[in-house]
Amino acid sequence: MTAIEKIDKILSTRQLLYTLLIIAIILPLIYPVGLPIGISSRTKAVYDYIQDDSKVPPGSHVLIEIYYEVAARAELEPQVIALMKQLFEKNCKLVFLSTITYGPLAFQFLQASAPDVFEGKTYGEDYVFLGYIAGQESAVASLAKSITGTVATDNYGNPTSSLPLIVEANDASAYALVIVASSGTDTFGWYVRQWYTPYHTPLLFGALSVIAPSIEPYVNAGQAVGMLTGQRSAAEYELLVGRKGLGIASMDAQSFAHGLILVFIIVGNIVFAYTKLSKRGEKK
Amino acid sequence: MSEVEVMGAWLAAVVVVWIYSFVYKDNVLYRFAEHLFVGTAAGYSIALSLDSLNKTAFVPLGKDIVTNWHLIIPLLLGLTFFLKYSKKYYWVARYGIGVNVAVGAALALRTAPMANIIKQINAAIVPLWTPTDLQTTFNNWLMVLITLGGLTYFIFTLFPKAEGKSTSVHKIYRAFFLIGVYGMMVGFGALFANTIMTRVGFLIGIYLQYFQPQPYAAIIAVVLAVIAIAYAMRRK
Amino acid sequence: MGAVVRRNIPQIIVTIIILLMVIFYFFYISSEVRTAFNTWDKALTDWVVVITAMAAIVGGVDILRYHVNQSRKKEPKQVFFSGIVMIMEVIMVAFAVIALSSGISIPTQQNFQWLYTYIYAPSDAAMYSILIFYIASASYRAFRVRNPPALLLLVVAILVMLGNTSLGELLWSGLLPIRDWIMTVPNTAAFRPITMGLGFGIIILGLRLLLGKETTWMGRRE
Repeated sequence: MTAIEKIDKILSTRQLLYTLLIIAIILPLIYPVGLPIGISSRTKAVYDYIQDDSKVPPGSHVLIEIYYEVAARAELEPQVIALMKQLFEKNCKLVFLSTITYGPLAFQFLQASAPDVFEGKTYGEDYVFLGYIAGQESAVASLAKSITGTVATDNYGNPTSSLPLIVEANDASAYALVIVASSGTDTFGWYVRQWYTPYHTPLLFGALSVIAPSIEPYVNAGQAVGMLTGQRSAAEYELLVGRKGLGIASMDAQSFAHGLILVFIIVGNIVFAYTKLSKRGEKK
Repeated sequence: MSEVEVMGAWLAAVVVVWIYSFVYKDNVLYRFAEHLFVGTAAGYSIALSLDSLNKTAFVPLGKDIVTNWHLIIPLLLGLTFFLKYSKKYYWVARYGIGVNVAVGAALALRTAPMANIIKQINAAIVPLWTPTDLQTTFNNWLMVLITLGGLTYFIFTLFPKAEGKSTSVHKIYRAFFLIGVYGMMVGFGALFANTIMTRVGFLIGIYLQYFQPQPYAAIIAVVLAVIAIAYAMRRK
Repeated sequence: MGAVVRRNIPQIIVTIIILLMVIFYFFYISSEVRTAFNTWDKALTDWVVVITAMAAIVGGVDILRYHVNQSRKKEPKQVFFSGIVMIMEVIMVAFAVIALSSGISIPTQQNFQWLYTYIYAPSDAAMYSILIFYIASASYRAFRVRNPPALLLLVVAILVMLGNTSLGELLWSGLLPIRDWIMTVPNTAAFRPITMGLGFGIIILGLRLLLGKETTWMGRRE
């Protein structure tokens, strides 16, 4: 048996690959290396857009759709927290909502992960969480027309008509920006069709890395002002706003895991090419 | 952390390890964790739907039934869904489903042409010669060619396979078809790379949320999972 | 009469709703008509919010029914596992009902919170993240370059993977701009036809529903 065949036999054991992957992810989390994180021009463009007072004036209203399950927290929650920090520093008022059942859970974790960001902010005046609203695209369309007309109470049972923030910003025209933090593909389309197309409300996408390629056309067509994709953008944004969080903490492990998978791909193809060439040689 | 929270954190770590044990071998502890998940997920879904109903129907009706009287109609239509279990009256559910389907279709139908088609065509029409910026010229050519190639790829009807010598039209079609294929390979390559980032991110999040706070719970769960896997392998 | 009530009237309702919602959205008749349309348009979207919530409840009840039927088969293992599903589902709903009857919001009910924080959330996260193991093994066993398009896919994947992580920066600082360029130019162009196709699909489905050609929503029974 040649060396390559031995390597193939060893690496064909799936359980070994799984164990190597777990080690590649856990080791850098226990012993951080501190690899450099550059900032891409696209993330900087999003940051600059929000910093620009003519685009997002201080004190303006921002809607944030929390549409991700617990698993996606690692990619999307750091993005949302970094964005929230920047918006709260501009005294923007944030209205959170969710059109997925995981939303209340995700928001609870968000609050627990970023108590420093919420510090000094008053519920009802500086931020509100409307909770889960069934109906998907219909709910999004209905909320654009009237929030108090769609949901009578927020996530905590408070009447929406009694919340000063909702009274001030009851429909799409009142919002300077809508941030869609979603682990699904459809959500972005709903907001493009029901908030941007009729009311031209600016949209900002916070997406999982896997979703990003498929929603690039919306960003390129100007239907969204920008996009943050996955943990990489989250880490970059944390560097920009000056708050170290899960994004930065994860990048070492991301790098090691990617490196390992790259090795798997390259070795797999070397083995495949060798096997193909040796079979061709045998035939001759 | 209170005792109840510590107990919960231990349970969370154990459930995660037992679900992961499936990748090594299907075993009884995985099945237990899986069914625990299915039960809580179904219950959670019902509970949150009740919460949404409360916010969007019951409370508005309770507050002002004169203005919000129309909300009784969707409540009744929603209740008809339970009739789908009846062999005689299953068709009553179609009224509720029909309203849902119709409104959803109408909402999408009236905005999709602008959002998905016209705006995208607008964005695809870019100048093919910008003398001061060759990079932009190159980018625009690439954008237009790949967009046209991708659209050509999805045309399955107008250009049948060439019989014998292919015509010039067919050659142009094949050229754009190939550009579309290679263009989409670029897209799928980016998609694959980003998929890895997302899934690795999920695993990192799990470790930081559930294993790092309760390492002993994770270790004990791993030991139990190894025993369950060994038992499952022996049985086989 | 039977078929009219069972199939024709629901289809007519669908057709009328779609027609009215689309026509009055695009055509302005008078301000009174526009105001009436806006009111009913909003009302219909609110109805869908309510109906969807009811549908999700029915979905949950379906799972319960399935496991009740499974446990009737009297296989000990199945009874045990189905019993777990039924017990957990009933407990979650019970706490939700307790919250509603006490006048507090369901997600804030303490016991309900404990269950979803420490059982539902971690198991949901684990289920979603399990795919990475299969991706890792597939990247060695299945990701093989057999033809030029696959080679292009691999090269782009490697460039983007390096650009996504700090590995790229360690190797060469130009990998991050290359990744950005791949995402904004060729990737966007590649997914643009898919986005447009989605739009065409929405239009076609809407027209099919309008004309009564699409009847799958009625279910399989007559």
